[in-house]
Amino acid sequence: MHDVAVRVRGLRMAYGPVQVLNGVDLDLRRGEVFTLLGPNGAGKTTLVEILEGFRTGWSGEVEVLGENPARAGDAWRARLGVVMQSWRDHPRWRVRDLVAHVAAHYDDPHDVDELLAALGLTEAARNRAGVLSGGQRRRLDVALGIVGRPEVLFLDEPTTGFDPEARREFHLLIERLAGEEGLTVLLTTHDLAEAERLSERIAVLVAGRVVTCGSPAELARAVQVPSLVRWEDGELETADPSGVAWDLHQRYGGPVPGLEIRRPTLEESYLDLIEETRGTRETAVVGGTR
Amino acid sequence: MNATILGLRRGWTEQLNLWSDRKELLNALIGTVGTYVVLILFIGGNNVPGTPVSMAAFMTPGFLAFAVFSTGLTGLPMLIAADREEGTLMRARTLPGGIRVYLTGRAVTALLTIALNAALVLLVAVPLGGVAAPPALGRWLTLAWVLALGTLAVVPLGAAIGSLVSGPKAAAAMLGLPAMLLMLVSGVMFPVEMMPGLVRGIAQVFPLYWQGVGLRAVFLPDSVLAAELGHSWPLGRAAAVLGAWAVGGMVLAPWLLRRVRGR
Repeated sequence: MHDVAVRVRGLRMAYGPVQVLNGVDLDLRRGEVFTLLGPNGAGKTTLVEILEGFRTGWSGEVEVLGENPARAGDAWRARLGVVMQSWRDHPRWRVRDLVAHVAAHYDDPHDVDELLAALGLTEAARNRAGVLSGGQRRRLDVALGIVGRPEVLFLDEPTTGFDPEARREFHLLIERLAGEEGLTVLLTTHDLAEAERLSERIAVLVAGRVVTCGSPAELARAVQVPSLVRWEDGELETADPSGVAWDLHQRYGGPVPGLEIRRPTLEESYLDLIEETRGTRETAVVGGTR
Repeated sequence: MNATILGLRRGWTEQLNLWSDRKELLNALIGTVGTYVVLILFIGGNNVPGTPVSMAAFMTPGFLAFAVFSTGLTGLPMLIAADREEGTLMRARTLPGGIRVYLTGRAVTALLTIALNAALVLLVAVPLGGVAAPPALGRWLTLAWVLALGTLAVVPLGAAIGSLVSGPKAAAAMLGLPAMLLMLVSGVMFPVEMMPGLVRGIAQVFPLYWQGVGLRAVFLPDSVLAAELGHSWPLGRAAAVLGAWAVGGMVLAPWLLRRVRGR
């Protein structure tokens, strides 16, 4: 069991009459970067908040670092790092003061100045948290999340509202963190490209259910919608476009006139998957973000 | 690090951060002390009816009591509600021992604010209000326990209220008017002797009245007793009522806070 950081079985959660999580199963291995991908309102934040121990009232089995988050204490909490969505707390605190204060909650924290340097916050160390740019603020949140040397780091939609440059910088940062010995990262996003770039495994959460889970390549295969093969005399949707092209080639005894093959992008496949799941579970999606 | 020490340091940093914000500092200074100065200048010249004591001297202990009361039951809940809205409370929940550290810090900021307000009211009171330092050691001791017990009576309760309300605006709307009304009826501005019976009864339920009594006993000569209920200083009862509020608050606050955390 030592190589499992997070284990979830049959997790269900409802807000009043609205079922938000419909039996989620999930396993995170120690040291991996795992992405929970899904559209807004899929239940990502609820799931993460349950794992972090901030929500009660769910049913099923949940173990984070071997403990039930609803009952675990301070010793357990000291092993987690949490970066929530759009945080703007402690606006009057200076960056360095805040990181040092948070560090003091832990037994063996990172060196504050080294951490600030690693996150590119040295210049901003004397600034107040309330005046930081969006990207700086997010890096501060990450600094606060990892200063206690967590074993599991939760990042809930960390790049929402970023411009492309800030997003790229943030991706580089996550890649560096992922290299740290034994750190398990659970990232949520609704951005497929981000999930593909950063994580070893991706689970797609739609309408409170994990519809598929695996490496980006496995995901691509699992969600593949048929390619479209079109030529002068017809068109065909197929999972095996090159086979169809070969057949056509044989039939025409040479080049196929007007041959065109359109393969769906991973994004199209993903959107298709979401549409499909939503269509079959209309009732479960009603209710929006929470 | 020990949560209490960390909380004390947190409170100190928090207060320095607040005071370095000029607008906040001005608010803090003008709020209670400003009102005090204005009232002293306008109605402080008359004597309390039936006594040789000036209204200014009479109002000084009352405002001291009000400074403690409003910091604990209005200012503190508003700060906690604002912290909750900004996510500061949530941040505390993500840290091991974070809620204890946070609450200790907030208690420290409340105590520092009370100390600053009390010091400023007294600083203004000596030249403007005709109030002198307590003449005997016994009265200094009374001052110490009345301020301490009065603070304990409101700070835990204020913390609990702050974690129940949804935001600083809701807190201001909910707490502002009752605090003003209590100030009017609790002997801060007018002797309670002048109030109708029912109002006197209501005033005596709350800690503000009893703290005012205690502080007047410290600063005012016995010649003002004509304006007090029962014409005496009921310090024993003051201690009992303030103590009851303090114990009640300390029992109720953790219970309320746990409920909020479970949400």
